[in-house]
Amino acid sequence: MTQDERTLQGAVARIDSQLRELPREIEPGRDLWSGIAARIDERAAPAPASEPRHSAWFWQAAAAVALVAASSLLTATLLDRDRPAGQAVVTAAPSNQVATSQDAVGMPAAFGPAGTLDPEYLAARKQLTQMLDQRIGTLPPSARAKLEFNLGEMRRAADEINAALAAQPGDPLLEELLLKTYQDELAVLSNVSQLTGSLENAAASPAEKRMQL
Amino acid sequence: MKTVVAAAPCCQPVVARAIALLAATLPLAAFAGTPINKLTAADPTGTVEISNTAGTVTVTGWDRNEVEVTGELGKGTERLDFTKADKITRIKVVLPNRSDVEDTDLIVKVPATSLVSVNTVSADIGVQGVRGTQRLQSVSGELRTESSGEDIECRTVSGDVNIAGSGRKGLVSITTVSGDATATRLAGEVNGSTVSGNLTLGVGETSRSRLRSTSGDLTLQGSLAADARLDIESISGDVRLDLVGKTGADFDVASFSGDIRNCFGPKPVRTDEYAPGKEWRHQEGDGSARVRIKTLSGDVSVCRK
Repeated sequence: MTQDERTLQGAVARIDSQLRELPREIEPGRDLWSGIAARIDERAAPAPASEPRHSAWFWQAAAAVALVAASSLLTATLLDRDRPAGQAVVTAAPSNQVATSQDAVGMPAAFGPAGTLDPEYLAARKQLTQMLDQRIGTLPPSARAKLEFNLGEMRRAADEINAALAAQPGDPLLEELLLKTYQDELAVLSNVSQLTGSLENAAASPAEKRMQL
Repeated sequence: MKTVVAAAPCCQPVVARAIALLAATLPLAAFAGTPINKLTAADPTGTVEISNTAGTVTVTGWDRNEVEVTGELGKGTERLDFTKADKITRIKVVLPNRSDVEDTDLIVKVPATSLVSVNTVSADIGVQGVRGTQRLQSVSGELRTESSGEDIECRTVSGDVNIAGSGRKGLVSITTVSGDATATRLAGEVNGSTVSGNLTLGVGETSRSRLRSTSGDLTLQGSLAADARLDIESISGDVRLDLVGKTGADFDVASFSGDIRNCFGPKPVRTDEYAPGKEWRHQEGDGSARVRIKTLSGDVSVCRK
């Protein structure tokens, strides 16, 4: 077991112990029902027309995006930590360095004209993008260009859906596809980070001559 | 009886020059790469991890409890690590921190039931006769393997993926950024995800399949298990579903601006008088399986073969 795994195991054990110490039941200090009933009545009233309303699945999906973001980041981070200290990826820094993945992605983080994304998602995406930026130099230029083009493709897809959402706010199909696009972007960032992270010695390779991208 | 071959007088100088050239080239060829020949005992259910940057990796399953590595180490390569710890055999091509290194070709024979994990940058990966789980990853190399019913995971950025299935049920996961993927005779659960690559999958019978794409086309041909769940999403890529045999399924197909073409059931309907969206909902047979397809602008085709 590595030091990282021991640390993680220790943290999990501490959390388990703290959870076991929590009381099984907590009596509310006051009668909450009257407040809850009032809130239900408020929600039953029609929402103002200016505020786009999202269906229940939307919030479930938004929670799923946050979960995917967290798990993608956790996986990528753990894999990164598993790398022995002496095996840091060598950044090739070629002379014709192209734009970073941050430049390539730059995805508008919004759901339609009035929405914003979960801060947890944004933070996870930022970290994954930074991680990829560190490693993208290890990819052969042609593979890197291909990757950046495809991250741009996802950005264009999100732009297109956002534009459609501006015309049809609250469309459940558009919202679903937009959420999936954000999820897919995270998955690509995470996958490529893991892929490049697992390949030491990749930078200074003669791989270019074999690239068929 | 002896056969004597004599060069015609007219050609003797040419032959002599060719022989001289060959003789002069031979030493260079000998220095082009270092032959590899390594062998170790291995657990039949152990793991074999292989890492190579450029060249090829060919893995073959055999009925011996040994791992054998042959092939040629590219000129300039630092070394080949060949280690064994418990049930894990590791084969790793180690490169120096410079660029004038030639490709390495690895030919690896493993116990057929081994778990095989291969990582490459541009090296093509070929696997045959392996009946254990496979995890194949490459940045731009081509992945070519056979499925025997065990789990297979293939991941590439731009490399193409080709899987020849056996009709046995298993879990196959394919992830590419721009690489195309083709698979035949898969069964069980198939998950495919791509940004701009085209996925073309032939499935004997699927119980669960999930395909996603941004701009690549998705094609699935096969039959649905009674309780199958098929989920396909694309932004601008086209989706084609060709169902084989009798189908009892509940279809929920929607596209924001793409066309929906179906060869059975009612015609698709507009979702809104003033918007381009179309949807097609239909129950075929007992409706026990569920098919769900969503696109933004990609066209959808659902037919029976």
